[in-house]
Formats: sequence, C-alpha cells, structure tokens
Amino acid sequence: MSIKGKIALVTGAGTGIGKGVAIELARRGVKVAIHYNQSDAGALHTKQQIDEFGGEAMIVQANVSNKPEIERMVSEVNEFFGGIDILVNNAALQLNYGFFEHDEHSFDRMMSINLKGYWQCMQAALPYMKQKQSGRIINMSSVHSKRPTDFDVVYAMTKGGIRMLGREAAIELAPFGITVNTIEPGHIDVGKQSARESKPIMSPEDLEKSKKSKSSIHEKFPLGRVGTPFDVAQLVCFIASDENEFMTGTSIRLDGASMLL
Amino acid sequence: MILQNKVVFLTDADNETGRAIVRKMIEAGAHMILNSPSGGRSLSNELSRMSEAGLQAIVVQIDLCKSAVVAEMLQLAEQKIGAVDVFIHNSKFIHRASIEACEEDDFMSSLSDNAKSAFICTQAVGKQMMQKQTGKIIYVSSIHAEKPTGSAFAFSASKGAVKMLSKEAALVLGRFGISVNTIEFGPVEGDNELFQSSLSTLYNDYEYKVPNAILGTHEDLAELILFLSSDDARYINGADIRLDGGFLLHYMNFKMKRP
Repeated sequence: MSIKGKIALVTGAGTGIGKGVAIELARRGVKVAIHYNQSDAGALHTKQQIDEFGGEAMIVQANVSNKPEIERMVSEVNEFFGGIDILVNNAALQLNYGFFEHDEHSFDRMMSINLKGYWQCMQAALPYMKQKQSGRIINMSSVHSKRPTDFDVVYAMTKGGIRMLGREAAIELAPFGITVNTIEPGHIDVGKQSARESKPIMSPEDLEKSKKSKSSIHEKFPLGRVGTPFDVAQLVCFIASDENEFMTGTSIRLDGASMLL
Repeated sequence: MILQNKVVFLTDADNETGRAIVRKMIEAGAHMILNSPSGGRSLSNELSRMSEAGLQAIVVQIDLCKSAVVAEMLQLAEQKIGAVDVFIHNSKFIHRASIEACEEDDFMSSLSDNAKSAFICTQAVGKQMMQKQTGKIIYVSSIHAEKPTGSAFAFSASKGAVKMLSKEAALVLGRFGISVNTIEFGPVEGDNELFQSSLSTLYNDYEYKVPNAILGTHEDLAELILFLSSDDARYINGADIRLDGGFLLHYMNFKMKRP
C-alpha cells in the first residue's frame, strides 16, 4: 500500500488512538504532524517513539475549538512539510457527564471540539488538498454515533453529527479527489490515559460489582479481546493509501463485532 | 379526544409543520404551550379555534437554548395548565452553506436551533415527566439525518446529533416510563428549492421518486405525531421513523411512476 512520503496531520496524537495512528503512519514512511492541546508530554513521547525508528515527525499545538489556532497549526504543518495529504480528525472531549449533569456550557464545549473542531480542521486543510487535487480525510467517530452510550448524551450527539458531516463532506469534496471516511471504534484499550476532567463511567460500587462478576470477556467481545490503537491505525493506513481511492462517505465500525451482541 | 386534558409543548408553532400539529392537537383535545417566534401572530386562526374548543393555549416566545428560561416558563405553565405530557421539538433552521465556505456563526446557529434547543428542552420536560413516570417526546427530524443535502451540511449534522439525543433519552428517560422517538420527515412540496444543490441530484424529479408519486404533507406528519403521542404507541421507544413515502428507497430512475 503506498502511503510513503505523504504528509499527515493527526489531531490528539499525544495519547490513545491518535498516538497509535501517528506512530503507525510514521512507521510506514508518512511524515506526521503530531497535534496536542494542553500538555506536550504525550506528544513528545509519540515523537520520541517515531524518532527511535528514524521516522519523520513534528509537533504542533492548537486548541481545535478555536479557528485561528487551527489555521495557524495547519500553516505550520504546511511550512514544515509542504502541504497536507492526510487529515486524521481525532481530538475529542468526552466528559462522561450524566444526562442531567450537562448544561449549555458543557454542551457548547463538547460540540466546539468534537464537531465544530472536526469541520474547521477540514476547512483549514482543504486549500492544500485542493492544490494537489487529492487528499484523505479520516474522522474518528465511535460506535456511539449509532448506539447510545448511556453515559454521555452530548458525546453521542457529537458523534451523530460527525456521521452526517462525513457524508456531506464526501459529496462536496469528491470533485477535488478528496475522500472522507469515518471510523467507528468500539472499546479500545488506551492504557491509563483519560482526560483530566472526564468522570468515571461507572460508580465505585458498580465497578466493584463488575470486578466480582465472573463474566468472560467473550460475553462482550467475540474475538476475546478489546481493540488497540494499533488496530485502528491499520484501518487508517488502508483508508489513507493511494490504492483506496474509491472508498468515500463511508463509516466503518471497528469493534471486533461487540456491537452485534 | 385521545389527548383530552393533556398538555403538549411545541417548540415552533409558527412554521407550517407547527401549525398542522396545532390543528391536529385541537382535534385531540390537548391544551398547548406554543413557542411562537411571531408571538402568536402567525397562529391567529389556530388560536381562535383553540379558544372556541375550550382549550387552553399558552403562547411564549423564549430562547429554547437557555435552561433557566425554559425551566421557568414550564414552571409557570404548570401552574396554569399542568405539567407537559407531550413534548414536540419541530424547530428547523436551514442555513445553506458549503463545508468549505460556511461561517462559524452560521454553523453554530444551525446547531443551536436544531440540536441544542432539543437537548435543553428535553432535560427540562424530562424532569417534569419523570415526576409523573410517563410522557412522550417526539423530535421532528428530517430524511437529512441520513441522506446528505449537498447544500446545508450544518442542518444535516445537527439532525444527526438529534438522532443520538433521541436514542440516549430513550434509554435514560425510558426507565421512567417516557417514550422518546424521532420522525425523519420529507420531502414535502418546496423541499427541492429549500435543498437545491449543485452536488446532489436527490431532489431532481423528487415527487416521482416517491414510489406512489404523491408527496407527503404536514398533515401526514401531524397524524404520526398524534399516534406517537397516544397510549397506543407505548412500545415505540428510541425509534427513528422514516416518514417519506419510500422516497429514500428510490434507486432506478426509469421505473419512476410518471403521469
């Protein structure tokens, strides 16, 4: 699959899925811009891992709920690498607030990052992709763009919005040779990392109960394991490859069939 | 009178959909809280019919995206006519703009009018309904929660968000006897102009893409809303009901039923 030499911007690449995607792209010869917002520790670690195998990477910072910052970030990537071929929209906020805990403020914050941020990163990357008459936009969504979370209504709403954003973008950007696809990961093991403000999905009591229950992992995950950032990265690399030029406007559920149970 | 003594809260009583819903609710005998951007001016016929039928109408003109404002209004309305039994979110704001050129403010307005208001109002009516352990919540969405418009991406993205709001609320509020559903409605006459697109051919010959070649009306929508508001629909929860006469199933142009 040919992706070697391409230029990618991966948002939220200091942790979790974004980190796995950035590293795998770099391992395959893609020049990767590693984005972070608040703390550079994760991004530095991602870059360090890429440097170790001789990959090419740079670090960019931006608050993706702020359009001028997005534009600055994208122009930094362009100046350093010379364009953007692949945009992986991945940076998202998941607060895990209960249905009645959310308010106007938390709604706006999550929508601004998760939905408006994805759209405005696309907007900012577009001129560079149009120039080359080719590009790959990959939006990281979630199984919760279709199946409710039961732990964060606004998170699911942002993902429902991304689903339609991807469909609209696919038909609008197709004339420029740009494809837009959505990945819907299920449970992915992202280690200990979680946003500083995120509440736990389970109460301590529920967590204790769940630990005591003897249910096998197969009850939730037919393959006997949860996903890893590496699993998601494989799909990103395939979608981003030159050979995969006809796939656009689609959403791919990547959950080891767990949503089918 | 299947909704006799029930209270229906409608988020946009002025638009065509809203007025059709009001007329249907009068037949069903419901009292209504009507949010009317025109302050009731667009509704004068409907309001006089309500008064003739002895039904109470509370006409308000509020910002549906502000929790405190919505909660205060509902509290006042509860004192006058009772707590909300049926909540219908039919707000619809279409801003035509491409992904490439859309301005941030226009995007946010679409999101607020179509999705944020649905969420804020659902929290508020949800609390009232939980007290009673019963209630119906209905979102009037669009076929564009599934099919891209090629002309108004902020509209379809916000309706995509409402689709998930409905499913989350169906779980969370469903545990309190409340049913939450979405109607994905369209096309009606004029939608070809509303969603005119240089990218999508969806609305070319749109009336013939409905297999029976008869477009739906706002009255069709009102009928379904009445059914979903009734006790007969007690097992329908978390559903997206496509109300389009089969329009989205269209595939072969040469098989269209033409006059």
